[in-house]
Amino acid sequence: MPISEDHVGRSYPATAPYEVSRAKIAEFAAALGDADNPAYAGEAPVAPPTFAVVLAAAAWDAMFADPELGLSLSRTVHVDQKFTWQRPLRAGDEVTATLTIEKVRARGATAIITIAVALSTASGEALCTAASTLMHTNEEAA
Amino acid sequence: MSALAAEVGQVLPSFSRTLERADLVRYAGASGDFNPIHWSDGAAAALGLPDVIAHGMLTMGTALRVVTDWCGDPARVRSYSVRFTKPVVVPADGGAVVRFGGTVTKVEDGVATVSIEATCDGVLVLGAATAEVFLG
Repeated sequence: MPISEDHVGRSYPATAPYEVSRAKIAEFAAALGDADNPAYAGEAPVAPPTFAVVLAAAAWDAMFADPELGLSLSRTVHVDQKFTWQRPLRAGDEVTATLTIEKVRARGATAIITIAVALSTASGEALCTAASTLMHTNEEAA
Repeated sequence: MSALAAEVGQVLPSFSRTLERADLVRYAGASGDFNPIHWSDGAAAALGLPDVIAHGMLTMGTALRVVTDWCGDPARVRSYSVRFTKPVVVPADGGAVVRFGGTVTKVEDGVATVSIEATCDGVLVLGAATAEVFLG
């Protein structure tokens, strides 16, 4: 059964805690061409804001692995992305991510899926919400 | 942190970044997004793309430097949203030059809204790119 409106509200278990490290922050900042920003270096760096996508993507895996939805990453287009931060992610944070399907608009073989991934520390402090709109095409139509 | 001044219409410093294949590979490693359309000619061609394309999130992440270079502290960024309007095509030879800029469009309750522009060959590659920045 392909993804449909019936799946709105479905959530997946939180991802295993991921520890944000200074080395990973430095690596991600360098990949953005932003290695010179002192906020991303030193003893207590913050992560570049869009580093949140690394955690959010880990939560996507559960949805793409859900056999009831029949989704494939290779037939998915990332339409838009929004982050809302309660505070920046910092080195030493243990972060988990929980994905919820917020909206599905299925038309023919194409579904527009809105998801929200809530990032929080392992102790429950809210850090960030990463909301995405995805356009998915069913295999039959490909 | 000390208060940051912003006024509507303020133009933030712009910059360009040349994205080369090596930058895409580096971002793939740093982000964990190994979708082959970002590094394999064959995968890109199979989807009808003229060449491999940059990760949308690489463009989105780089574009936010318009805001963080200006405000100094990335912790000031409250929200950031974009639409992935058009892919950035990255040829093996020479890469792609992406130009980034921004304008303050609203200042209210100690929060500045910045509209960010990202263009490649004069074409917008991000749509409705907007960040909210805490000024206090």
